[in-house]
Amino acid sequence: MEPIDDDEPLGSPADSLALIARERANLVRDIAPDPRLMYWPWGIAWLLGFGLLFLRFGPDGRVFVDLPAWLPLTLLSLSFIAAGAVTGAVGARSAMQTRGPSSRQGLMYGLTWGIAFFGMSLLFAQFGNAMPDDQLSLLWAGGLVALTGALHMAGGVIWNDRQLFILGAWTSVINMAGVLAGPGWHSLIVAIAGGGGMLLFGLLGWLKRR
Amino acid sequence: MTDGAELDPVIHAQARLRVVSALSVLREEDKVTFPRLQDSLRMTAGNLSVHLRKLEDAGYVEVTKTHQGRTPATFVRLTRRGRLAFEQYQDTLQALLNPSHPTAPPATHKRTEGSPSLEETP
Repeated sequence: MEPIDDDEPLGSPADSLALIARERANLVRDIAPDPRLMYWPWGIAWLLGFGLLFLRFGPDGRVFVDLPAWLPLTLLSLSFIAAGAVTGAVGARSAMQTRGPSSRQGLMYGLTWGIAFFGMSLLFAQFGNAMPDDQLSLLWAGGLVALTGALHMAGGVIWNDRQLFILGAWTSVINMAGVLAGPGWHSLIVAIAGGGGMLLFGLLGWLKRR
Repeated sequence: MTDGAELDPVIHAQARLRVVSALSVLREEDKVTFPRLQDSLRMTAGNLSVHLRKLEDAGYVEVTKTHQGRTPATFVRLTRRGRLAFEQYQDTLQALLNPSHPTAPPATHKRTEGSPSLEETP
Protein backbone atom coordinates (compact mmCIF):
# COMPACT_ATOMS: atom_id res chain seq x y z
CA MET A 1 0.00 0.00 0.00
CA GLU A 2 2.05 2.98 1.16
CA PRO A 3 5.80 2.83 1.50
CA ILE A 4 5.99 3.05 5.28
CA ASP A 5 8.36 0.54 6.72
CA ASP A 6 6.65 0.47 10.11
CA ASP A 7 3.65 -0.99 8.29
CA GLU A 8 5.54 -4.28 8.44
CA PRO A 9 4.60 -6.88 11.04
CA LEU A 10 7.05 -7.73 13.77
CA GLY A 11 9.32 -10.73 13.85
CA SER A 12 8.23 -12.66 16.93
CA PRO A 13 5.40 -12.75 19.47
CA ALA A 14 7.84 -11.75 22.20
CA ASP A 15 8.84 -8.63 20.23
CA SER A 16 5.18 -7.75 19.71
CA LEU A 17 4.36 -8.14 23.40
CA ALA A 18 7.36 -6.00 24.32
CA LEU A 19 6.22 -3.33 21.86
CA ILE A 20 2.70 -3.38 23.35
CA ALA A 21 4.07 -2.95 26.88
CA ARG A 22 6.36 -0.13 25.76
CA GLU A 23 3.65 1.89 24.01
CA ARG A 24 1.25 1.44 26.92
CA ALA A 25 3.85 2.67 29.39
CA ASN A 26 4.68 5.62 27.11
CA LEU A 27 1.11 6.89 26.93
CA VAL A 28 0.56 6.47 30.67
CA ARG A 29 3.69 8.51 31.31
CA ASP A 30 2.62 11.15 28.78
CA ILE A 31 -0.90 11.74 30.07
CA ALA A 32 -0.64 11.11 33.83
CA PRO A 33 0.84 13.98 35.84
CA ASP A 34 4.41 13.44 37.08
CA PRO A 35 4.10 12.25 40.71
CA ARG A 36 7.14 14.35 41.63
CA LEU A 37 5.38 17.53 40.49
CA MET A 38 2.18 16.54 42.29
CA TYR A 39 3.66 15.60 45.70
CA TRP A 40 7.09 17.17 46.12
CA PRO A 41 5.81 20.78 46.28
CA TRP A 42 3.57 19.73 49.18
CA GLY A 43 6.28 17.70 50.86
CA ILE A 44 8.67 20.65 50.68
CA ALA A 45 5.97 23.09 51.84
CA TRP A 46 5.20 20.95 54.91
CA LEU A 47 8.82 20.25 55.75
CA LEU A 48 9.78 23.90 55.45
CA GLY A 49 6.63 25.55 56.82
CA PHE A 50 5.95 23.26 59.77
CA GLY A 51 9.67 22.93 60.44
CA LEU A 52 10.05 26.70 60.89
CA LEU A 53 6.86 26.77 62.95
CA PHE A 54 8.37 24.19 65.30
CA LEU A 55 11.66 26.08 65.58
CA ARG A 56 9.90 29.34 66.45
CA PHE A 57 6.95 27.99 68.46
CA GLY A 58 8.27 24.86 70.16
CA PRO A 59 6.57 22.76 72.83
CA ASP A 60 5.73 24.63 76.08
CA GLY A 61 6.54 28.00 74.54
CA ARG A 62 10.17 27.14 73.81
CA VAL A 63 11.92 29.13 71.06
CA PHE A 64 14.67 27.15 69.34
CA VAL A 65 15.45 29.78 66.69
CA ASP A 66 14.46 33.37 67.37
CA LEU A 67 12.78 34.15 64.05
CA PRO A 68 10.36 37.06 63.73
CA ALA A 69 6.98 35.77 65.00
CA TRP A 70 5.21 36.51 61.69
CA LEU A 71 7.72 34.66 59.53
CA PRO A 72 6.84 30.95 59.99
CA LEU A 73 3.09 31.30 59.38
CA THR A 74 3.63 33.67 56.45
CA LEU A 75 6.08 31.24 54.86
CA LEU A 76 3.74 28.33 55.55
CA SER A 77 0.83 30.10 53.83
CA LEU A 78 2.97 31.19 50.87
CA SER A 79 4.44 27.73 50.35
CA PHE A 80 0.95 26.21 50.50
CA ILE A 81 -0.27 28.68 47.86
CA ALA A 82 2.76 27.94 45.68
CA ALA A 83 2.30 24.17 46.05
CA GLY A 84 -1.41 24.50 45.25
CA ALA A 85 -0.62 26.55 42.13
CA VAL A 86 1.97 24.04 40.88
CA THR A 87 -0.19 20.95 41.43
CA GLY A 88 -3.28 22.73 40.06
CA ALA A 89 -1.45 23.73 36.87
CA VAL A 90 0.16 20.31 36.40
CA GLY A 91 -3.15 18.54 37.03
CA ALA A 92 -5.05 20.82 34.67
CA ARG A 93 -2.46 20.40 31.90
CA SER A 94 -2.73 16.65 32.26
CA ALA A 95 -6.55 16.78 32.22
CA MET A 96 -6.45 18.76 28.94
CA GLN A 97 -4.78 15.83 27.14
CA THR A 98 -7.83 13.65 27.48
CA ARG A 99 -11.57 14.01 27.56
CA GLY A 100 -14.14 11.72 29.10
CA PRO A 101 -15.06 10.26 32.49
CA SER A 102 -11.47 10.19 33.80
CA SER A 103 -10.73 13.84 33.13
CA ARG A 104 -14.12 14.78 34.62
CA GLN A 105 -13.23 12.80 37.73
CA GLY A 106 -9.88 14.58 37.93
CA LEU A 107 -11.53 17.98 37.62
CA MET A 108 -14.08 17.20 40.34
CA TYR A 109 -11.35 15.89 42.62
CA GLY A 110 -9.29 19.05 42.10
CA LEU A 111 -12.30 21.25 42.83
CA THR A 112 -13.02 19.21 45.96
CA TRP A 113 -9.60 20.12 47.36
CA GLY A 114 -10.05 23.81 46.64
CA ILE A 115 -13.59 24.09 47.99
CA ALA A 116 -12.95 21.96 51.09
CA PHE A 117 -9.81 23.91 52.04
CA PHE A 118 -11.54 27.23 51.50
CA GLY A 119 -14.53 26.17 53.59
CA MET A 120 -12.45 24.94 56.49
CA SER A 121 -10.19 28.01 56.47
CA LEU A 122 -13.26 30.23 56.51
CA LEU A 123 -14.52 28.41 59.58
CA PHE A 124 -11.21 28.59 61.47
CA ALA A 125 -10.82 32.28 60.61
CA GLN A 126 -13.88 32.97 62.77
CA PHE A 127 -11.96 31.91 65.91
CA GLY A 128 -9.07 34.37 65.64
CA ASN A 129 -9.70 35.90 69.06
CA ALA A 130 -11.36 32.99 70.81
CA MET A 131 -8.31 31.09 72.08
CA PRO A 132 -4.60 31.41 72.87
CA ASP A 133 -2.26 31.54 69.88
CA ASP A 134 -0.72 28.11 70.35
CA GLN A 135 -4.14 26.45 70.50
CA LEU A 136 -5.33 28.44 67.53
CA SER A 137 -2.38 27.33 65.41
CA LEU A 138 -2.99 23.72 66.47
CA LEU A 139 -6.61 24.09 65.37
CA TRP A 140 -5.57 25.40 61.95
CA ALA A 141 -2.74 22.97 61.37
CA GLY A 142 -4.53 19.94 62.81
CA GLY A 143 -7.72 20.68 60.85
CA LEU A 144 -6.02 21.21 57.50
CA VAL A 145 -3.73 18.20 57.86
CA ALA A 146 -6.76 16.05 58.80
CA LEU A 147 -8.52 17.28 55.67
CA THR A 148 -5.46 16.49 53.53
CA GLY A 149 -5.34 12.96 54.93
CA ALA A 150 -9.06 12.44 54.30
CA LEU A 151 -8.85 13.70 50.71
CA HIS A 152 -5.86 11.48 49.94
CA MET A 153 -7.75 8.48 51.32
CA ALA A 154 -10.75 9.47 49.18
CA GLY A 155 -8.41 9.68 46.16
CA GLY A 156 -7.23 6.16 46.94
CA VAL A 157 -10.87 5.02 46.98
CA ILE A 158 -11.76 6.81 43.72
CA TRP A 159 -8.84 5.44 41.70
CA ASN A 160 -8.49 2.19 43.59
CA ASP A 161 -4.94 3.31 44.42
CA ARG A 162 -3.66 1.52 47.51
CA GLN A 163 -0.53 3.66 47.82
CA LEU A 164 -2.51 6.89 47.81
CA PHE A 165 -4.87 5.48 50.41
CA ILE A 166 -1.91 4.52 52.60
CA LEU A 167 -0.47 8.04 52.25
CA GLY A 168 -3.81 9.47 53.42
CA ALA A 169 -4.13 7.04 56.33
CA TRP A 170 -0.51 7.70 57.36
CA THR A 171 -1.08 11.47 57.25
CA SER A 172 -4.25 11.08 59.35
CA VAL A 173 -2.55 8.91 61.98
CA ILE A 174 0.51 11.11 62.43
CA ASN A 175 -1.83 14.11 62.64
CA MET A 176 -3.72 12.47 65.50
CA ALA A 177 -0.45 11.70 67.26
CA GLY A 178 0.62 15.33 66.84
CA VAL A 179 -2.70 16.72 68.07
CA LEU A 180 -2.48 14.56 71.20
CA ALA A 181 1.17 15.50 71.77
CA GLY A 182 0.11 19.15 71.68
CA PRO A 183 1.21 22.46 70.12
CA GLY A 184 4.85 22.50 69.03
CA TRP A 185 5.15 18.72 68.82
CA HIS A 186 2.42 18.71 66.21
CA SER A 187 4.50 20.95 63.94
CA LEU A 188 7.58 18.72 64.31
CA ILE A 189 5.68 15.49 63.64
CA VAL A 190 3.82 16.90 60.63
CA ALA A 191 6.98 18.45 59.17
CA ILE A 192 9.04 15.27 59.32
CA ALA A 193 6.56 12.39 59.09
CA GLY A 194 3.95 14.21 56.96
CA GLY A 195 6.25 16.19 54.65
CA GLY A 196 8.67 13.26 54.45
CA GLY A 197 5.77 10.92 53.65
CA MET A 198 4.77 13.03 50.66
CA LEU A 199 8.34 13.31 49.38
CA LEU A 200 8.68 9.54 49.61
CA PHE A 201 5.30 9.01 47.95
CA GLY A 202 6.28 11.23 44.99
CA LEU A 203 9.59 9.38 44.67
CA LEU A 204 7.98 5.92 44.75
CA GLY A 205 5.38 6.95 42.19
CA TRP A 206 8.07 8.28 39.90
CA LEU A 207 10.26 5.17 40.24
CA LYS A 208 7.30 2.90 39.56
CA ARG A 209 6.50 4.46 36.21
CA ARG A 210 10.02 5.03 34.96
CA MET B 1 -9.26 -25.59 13.73
CA THR B 2 -6.29 -23.27 13.65
CA ASP B 3 -8.22 -19.99 13.69
CA GLY B 4 -6.92 -19.21 17.16
CA ALA B 5 -3.43 -18.74 15.77
CA GLU B 6 -4.45 -16.22 13.12
CA LEU B 7 -3.47 -12.67 13.86
CA ASP B 8 -5.86 -9.83 13.09
CA PRO B 9 -4.51 -8.26 9.87
CA VAL B 10 -5.74 -4.79 10.86
CA ILE B 11 -3.59 -4.74 14.00
CA HIS B 12 -0.85 -6.94 12.59
CA ALA B 13 1.19 -4.03 11.28
CA GLN B 14 3.69 -2.48 13.59
CA ALA B 15 2.38 1.07 13.37
CA ARG B 16 -1.24 0.12 13.99
CA LEU B 17 -0.32 -2.25 16.79
CA ARG B 18 1.48 0.66 18.44
CA VAL B 19 -1.54 2.95 18.03
CA VAL B 20 -3.96 0.40 19.46
CA SER B 21 -1.59 -0.49 22.34
CA ALA B 22 -1.30 3.14 23.39
CA LEU B 23 -5.06 3.71 23.16
CA SER B 24 -5.74 0.57 25.22
CA VAL B 25 -4.38 2.41 28.27
CA LEU B 26 -7.39 4.74 28.26
CA ARG B 27 -10.52 3.68 30.07
CA GLU B 28 -13.59 3.01 27.99
CA GLU B 29 -15.19 6.30 26.85
CA ASP B 30 -11.97 8.25 27.52
CA LYS B 31 -10.35 9.94 24.51
CA VAL B 32 -6.92 11.44 23.99
CA THR B 33 -6.01 14.45 21.85
CA PHE B 34 -4.45 13.73 18.47
CA PRO B 35 -1.25 15.75 19.17
CA ARG B 36 -0.66 13.98 22.49
CA LEU B 37 -1.09 10.56 20.86
CA GLN B 38 1.16 11.57 17.97
CA ASP B 39 3.81 12.80 20.38
CA SER B 40 3.67 9.67 22.48
CA LEU B 41 3.95 7.40 19.43
CA ARG B 42 6.67 9.55 17.80
CA MET B 43 4.86 9.42 14.43
CA THR B 44 4.28 12.17 11.89
CA ALA B 45 0.77 13.61 11.76
CA GLY B 46 0.30 12.29 8.22
CA ASN B 47 1.44 8.80 9.10
CA LEU B 48 -0.76 8.63 12.19
CA SER B 49 -3.76 9.90 10.20
CA VAL B 50 -3.32 7.17 7.60
CA HIS B 51 -3.25 4.44 10.23
CA LEU B 52 -6.12 5.95 12.19
CA ARG B 53 -8.23 5.94 9.05
CA LYS B 54 -7.59 2.23 8.55
CA LEU B 55 -8.43 1.51 12.17
CA GLU B 56 -11.53 3.68 11.88
CA ASP B 57 -12.63 1.79 8.76
CA ALA B 58 -12.37 -1.44 10.75
CA GLY B 59 -14.46 0.11 13.52
CA TYR B 60 -11.58 -0.15 16.00
CA VAL B 61 -11.13 3.53 16.81
CA GLU B 62 -13.39 6.55 16.89
CA VAL B 63 -12.03 9.94 15.81
CA THR B 64 -13.97 12.99 17.01
CA LYS B 65 -13.34 16.48 15.68
CA THR B 66 -14.52 19.27 17.95
CA HIS B 67 -13.49 22.75 19.05
CA GLN B 68 -11.72 23.88 22.20
CA GLY B 69 -12.72 27.52 22.18
CA ARG B 70 -11.80 28.55 18.63
CA THR B 71 -9.07 26.05 17.93
CA PRO B 72 -10.14 22.77 16.37
CA ALA B 73 -9.32 19.71 18.45
CA THR B 74 -9.29 16.07 17.44
CA PHE B 75 -9.81 13.28 19.96
CA VAL B 76 -9.18 9.58 19.50
CA ARG B 77 -10.53 6.62 21.44
CA LEU B 78 -10.54 2.85 21.15
CA THR B 79 -14.00 1.42 20.49
CA ARG B 80 -15.30 -1.64 22.32
CA ARG B 81 -14.71 -3.60 19.14
CA GLY B 82 -11.14 -2.34 18.94
CA ARG B 83 -10.54 -3.27 22.56
CA LEU B 84 -11.84 -6.79 21.99
CA ALA B 85 -9.70 -7.20 18.88
CA PHE B 86 -6.66 -5.98 20.80
CA GLU B 87 -7.28 -8.37 23.68
CA GLN B 88 -7.73 -11.25 21.28
CA TYR B 89 -4.53 -10.28 19.47
CA GLN B 90 -2.64 -10.31 22.76
CA ASP B 91 -4.10 -13.70 23.67
CA THR B 92 -2.99 -15.09 20.33
CA LEU B 93 0.52 -13.77 20.86
CA GLN B 94 0.60 -15.37 24.29
CA ALA B 95 -0.61 -18.63 22.83
CA LEU B 96 2.08 -18.57 20.15
CA LEU B 97 4.70 -17.84 22.74
CA ASN B 98 3.54 -20.48 25.15
CA PRO B 99 1.70 -23.32 23.38
CA SER B 100 0.62 -24.92 26.67
CA HIS B 101 -1.47 -21.82 27.38
CA PRO B 102 -5.20 -22.71 27.56
CA THR B 103 -6.07 -20.51 24.58
CA ALA B 104 -3.34 -22.02 22.43
CA PRO B 105 -4.30 -23.83 19.24
CA PRO B 106 -3.97 -27.61 19.54
CA ALA B 107 -0.29 -28.38 19.12
CA THR B 108 -0.35 -31.43 16.90
CA HIS B 109 3.18 -31.12 15.61
CA LYS B 110 6.35 -30.12 17.29
CA ARG B 111 7.43 -26.79 15.84
CA THR B 112 10.55 -27.10 13.78
CA GLU B 113 11.74 -23.49 14.01
CA GLY B 114 13.24 -22.24 17.23
CA SER B 115 10.44 -19.74 17.81
CA PRO B 116 7.16 -19.36 15.97
CA SER B 117 7.34 -16.77 13.26
CA LEU B 118 4.77 -14.09 12.57
CA GLU B 119 6.02 -13.35 9.09
CA GLU B 120 2.83 -14.45 7.33
CA THR B 121 1.85 -11.08 5.94
CA PRO B 122 -1.89 -10.46 5.73
